[in-house]
Amino acid sequence: MATEDIKIENKPSFKTAASYFDSKNNGNKKKTWKSLKQIISSEKTLPWPEGTVLYSSINAPPSFRPPEKFSDLSGLPALYTDPATRLRYANKEEYATILDLPMDITAGYLALRGASSIVG
Amino acid sequence: MDLLEFKDQKPEPDMFHSYTPLRNSTTPIIIDNGSYQCRVGWATNSEPLFVFKNLVAKLRKERYKKDNVESSQVPLLQVGNDIINIEAVRFQLKSQFDKNIVTHFEAQEQLFDYTFSHLGIDTETIAHPIVLTEAFANPNSSRQYMSELLFECYNVPGISYGIDSLFGRYYTEPEQENALIVSLGHHTCHIIPVLEHRAVFENVRRLNTGGQHIITFLHKILQLKYPAHSTSITLSRAEELLHSICEVTLNYKEELMRWLDSDYYEQNIKKIQLPYANTVTSSLTLEQQKERKKELARRLTEINARKREERLAEDEDKLTQLLHIQEMFEVGVVGEELENALAEFQIKNSNDLQKNIGNLNMRIVKTKMKIKSAKFAEEAEEPPVKQPKTNKMVFETEKDMNEYLQNAKKMVSCCDYYKNFNNFFFSQRQEILNRKTLRKQRKQDMAKRRTAAGQERMRIISQLARKEKGNDDFGLRDEDWDIYKTISKDGGDTDSDAENEKLVALDETIREYEPNELEEVNPGETYQLHVGIERYRAPELLFKPYMSGSSEAGLSEVIAYVLSLFKPSDQLLLAANVIIIGSLSSLRGLKERLLSDLISVRPFQSKVSVTVAKSPGLTAWLGAKKWTEHPEFEKKLLTREMYDEFGPEYFLMQPFSNLYCKTPNGQTIDVEAV
Repeated sequence: MATEDIKIENKPSFKTAASYFDSKNNGNKKKTWKSLKQIISSEKTLPWPEGTVLYSSINAPPSFRPPEKFSDLSGLPALYTDPATRLRYANKEEYATILDLPMDITAGYLALRGASSIVG
Repeated sequence: MDLLEFKDQKPEPDMFHSYTPLRNSTTPIIIDNGSYQCRVGWATNSEPLFVFKNLVAKLRKERYKKDNVESSQVPLLQVGNDIINIEAVRFQLKSQFDKNIVTHFEAQEQLFDYTFSHLGIDTETIAHPIVLTEAFANPNSSRQYMSELLFECYNVPGISYGIDSLFGRYYTEPEQENALIVSLGHHTCHIIPVLEHRAVFENVRRLNTGGQHIITFLHKILQLKYPAHSTSITLSRAEELLHSICEVTLNYKEELMRWLDSDYYEQNIKKIQLPYANTVTSSLTLEQQKERKKELARRLTEINARKREERLAEDEDKLTQLLHIQEMFEVGVVGEELENALAEFQIKNSNDLQKNIGNLNMRIVKTKMKIKSAKFAEEAEEPPVKQPKTNKMVFETEKDMNEYLQNAKKMVSCCDYYKNFNNFFFSQRQEILNRKTLRKQRKQDMAKRRTAAGQERMRIISQLARKEKGNDDFGLRDEDWDIYKTISKDGGDTDSDAENEKLVALDETIREYEPNELEEVNPGETYQLHVGIERYRAPELLFKPYMSGSSEAGLSEVIAYVLSLFKPSDQLLLAANVIIIGSLSSLRGLKERLLSDLISVRPFQSKVSVTVAKSPGLTAWLGAKKWTEHPEFEKKLLTREMYDEFGPEYFLMQPFSNLYCKTPNGQTIDVEAV
């Protein structure tokens, strides 16, 4: 009760409701929040006329060039991959550091490169 | 090389502007609603009145502070520039944006409240038309909610939606018919071809990498490089670094090759000092710790002594009582008094009584002894403490060496001794370290299958496991058992505690006499970030999204792709006028890089030009302002009547807006039944 009073007091004069889109206060309005992904996928399923430009249709194309390999640690061009951690490295000094790296750091580097999934 | 420091700039809270000059007018309000910043101003202003980050921080009401007066003064909802320290509320931050699309209208509403109240509006409704920017190909459902919010909640008279990049072009180059807009945003980048003042919608492409990705990428690599400082490397600091030292390089590969040279590295590395509190050196704290321990021990002994004395008094008291009973026995008192006394001590007969008295006597004697010995111990404990602890680690010749050392320090001529002494320590230290690394190496080799050591181990194990009937004499000799030592993973010996202790002690002595030899760095240096290749690596993400696992093409590749969608004559027109807008375009070297990449994909000697818009972050707002001055503006306003008539997703198209496509089948996404 007390909180409602405060909210009413806080309502700026130019608004019709203190919080129009607050899901808790609006009993009659059912608004389920949708993420962008959901919005896009539901948009895709509709029968749009030919040539309509949708959010999902202007995505950049995939890269046609082979990705270069860079060392995860330094960013230098990497010639080698450590089979144990799957980290890329450029020289033996970096390899020596890789051997000492704790698991969470190696996992962090892999996740940064987007290579943490088992399949990829 | 001078040290850089973080400025950690705090935003200044926006002031509440006065509404008076514009009261009762219909001056449009221009809101450039970007996923990074929101820029707001009246159409009569020459530039936005205020700019704030599109963020809301909803602080949790802490339960224990519920009744506290102070807590009620701190607003639970902080919006935009009211958020003084973003890092403190990082986990409570909310934005209305999901990528570059507004999906979270609760937050949008709070931000609109902030916007309108800071404009000073205090009337019943917002009596001004709104010009609002939105993303390219903004989904109908998002726009529909936006219209609903503005019409139903704020009662605005009219709305005009436009695309920020198109407004930006309108402001920068209104007279140019054709352009290729490269709009670099916080979450996304757009490549928008414009022919004869019209955006070619079907050939627009969006790259889902933006400034925010660069910042998080930089943040992450620095955190992984300096795990010890991961908490002091914050996102806002990464952002600051991006703007202060990051650059786009013309040729990334060549730049990397340059960094292989250690001289180049030394010259170009940027050192950044993290704030740190100068802590007291470790030796002092060690002393203090010892002191504290001693103090604690003393207090404990005191407590024990007091307890003992108390027990002693108690026992003596009991003894006198028992003696009294004994006396009564002896005198031959019979009656209630005796009975009571016996019951109290749970004594059945005189034998029991004797035993009890004996026990008590014994106990008293023991306690007295203990008290005495404790007192002695306390006295005895004092003297050995005076000896310095370092002497514990004694080489037999240490005392002599100490003397040598003193002499050496006084007289340079005695340098030899000193050197010998040092060498002795260093060689010992090195020996231990070598042994340690050797062990580590062996352990690693053993753990892996394909090393010689590992295979040898497997061979021995399989031999041991083989069962041979008959002449098995294993174990007859003691040496047989040593084989188990060789196959254990740490090869029989581990880093023993004794060795570790010795190493620590050696370090200590060396540090004492030769402070410079061990890398005893000044404490500030461990709080420095060395940012080298990262300066170029982070912005390179725009051109190589695969560095963070995205499969999309890079910026230059997408530009080339968009151009390839046109016929050659149009390609010429577009490539001749490439404009970069968006706040990210202030990155150094970006223009040159785009130009060089573009030239490499264009036909020989064809005209290519790349320009960066002036004040690239504000172009969208300024373009929108220019639109309000256009004669068509009034006609292209979406009014409340149209909203009621044509449904919430309807809007009027204008040269800078998205295309209106009615959602098919008459079914609108998520229209609630009233």
